[in-house]
Amino acid sequence: MRSPVQAGLRTSTNGGPRRIFLAIFLASLLAALGAIGNVTNSAFAQTAFTLPAPPFELPMVPPVSGNWTVMVGIGGEYKPDFEGANRSMLSPVPIFSIRRAGSAESFRGPRDSASIAFIDFGDLRAGPAVKFVASRKANNYPELNGLGDVNATVELGGFVEYFPVDWFRTRAELRQGIGGHTGVVADFSADFIVPVYQGFTVSAGPRFTWESTQATAPYFGINAIQAMTTGLPVFNAQGGAHSYGAGAQISYRFNPQWEVHSYVEYQRLLGDAAASPLVTLRGSPNQTTVGIGASYSFDFKIR
Amino acid sequence: MRRTNRCVSFATAVLAVNLGACASFETRETKLQAVKTVGIISAVGDEMSFVQAGLTGLNNPTQSLPIRSWGLDDLIVQQATTALSGRFEVRPVNYQRSAFAAIKDSPVAPVNLVRGDPFKQLVRTEVSPQGLDAYIVITKAKSNFNGSRKVEGIGFITYGTVLASYNQIYALYEIRVFDGKTFDMIEKRAASPLDNSGAMKLPGPSQLVDESFAPNPGNPAQNEKLHTAIAELVARSLPSTLSDMHLAAVR
Repeated sequence: MRSPVQAGLRTSTNGGPRRIFLAIFLASLLAALGAIGNVTNSAFAQTAFTLPAPPFELPMVPPVSGNWTVMVGIGGEYKPDFEGANRSMLSPVPIFSIRRAGSAESFRGPRDSASIAFIDFGDLRAGPAVKFVASRKANNYPELNGLGDVNATVELGGFVEYFPVDWFRTRAELRQGIGGHTGVVADFSADFIVPVYQGFTVSAGPRFTWESTQATAPYFGINAIQAMTTGLPVFNAQGGAHSYGAGAQISYRFNPQWEVHSYVEYQRLLGDAAASPLVTLRGSPNQTTVGIGASYSFDFKIR
Repeated sequence: MRRTNRCVSFATAVLAVNLGACASFETRETKLQAVKTVGIISAVGDEMSFVQAGLTGLNNPTQSLPIRSWGLDDLIVQQATTALSGRFEVRPVNYQRSAFAAIKDSPVAPVNLVRGDPFKQLVRTEVSPQGLDAYIVITKAKSNFNGSRKVEGIGFITYGTVLASYNQIYALYEIRVFDGKTFDMIEKRAASPLDNSGAMKLPGPSQLVDESFAPNPGNPAQNEKLHTAIAELVARSLPSTLSDMHLAAVR
């Protein structure tokens, strides 16, 4: 899975130190959560501060006056160094959102792109979606030495999601890459969303990704020059079925302020992505991402 | 040097746009200062929704149940009149409540922006007497709930989980203030959640209740506990919402 956050804590090739890093990170999070318990009830449903009204309002733009909820937090994501890698890396992930106070947060999967629902029937939503895919620098990873860099990509497109019932969501995204790759990516996912108890939700479901040749080749193709410098065979990567997999996440809201969540996403590369010598000789078609995070929400008011 | 000049030009342009905007758009405070007489229109409470959400069966459409006999809109007008009387002269107005209640947002968000506020036309054509300084229109507000449903106005939600289920009542409404001469909207604000909001997040007044508050499907108006709880929810939230809009005395 590609993620916007690349700066992270690099771990070594064997599993031991990686586990230690992860354990330290998880322990830190748990320690933070321990501290949370002492302050949870102090700020219940109070606005943290009030801002003055804006000096003017623009026509056609909804007024900003009212109560707003800000969510801030930090998480960690343990994921493959690059798509197709067999080593993983722990990276910090910032959490931030702002919305009208009280507005219900929609279910969101870890692989969902940032999106806005311009069409909203409640159970059926659609609108634009955007995803940032970080650059892949060849000199950052020994497996990539000799392969060219792939610049960062912004993928622009749209999404459609449908809830046939409250506890089941299907979602499709179609995005066009601009930058590092110029291909088309289509993501399909389904999630069973099970509310276990008040504030405690478990969800899981299958995933599938299709990518065009232009989206696959920059990451998995090997041209003649790269073959000479890397020792890998020339490989002309074509598009098609890119990966299938499954994901699961749990979230628990202690109170209106504090929430923790964790997720795991497994992805099995398919087609030319899996057949690329970069994957068969130096990487792995099995891609697993594990994430954990904690967030704090507070309200403020604009007069 | 050329770059510095460009920066200065850009900053000047931004400043000019800001000053122009300040000059062009009066603040709502300025507009409200001129208002002396107001009329109040309420179209919130003829029906209530009954929603079963969370872990439910396959077929759970939102049900609409009649509660006109509760007279919630009369209560809202009465409460708002009391709250506003310190600042404005509130005059009774006649209007067709069903016309205001029938207005629905389009599910296509840009359409709502382009078509403008449909209540503006209704205030111009359906309210008498005309000529007051401002009209205050209180109607149902709509919100997403649990990611997959729309809820609006007055309602009762049963939210099922694996281990328990929760019941919550809500009163989602929004208040618009229209200029009585131009019929431009001066301000719009949805009622905010109360401090003791329930387990399920809603963008307006709501409260956890027990099973005994559930509406009787045949005749929900018969449940006096439900009626009283909804009326209290409205009565508690309305003065604070009007106060937030600077229409009533600050709490």
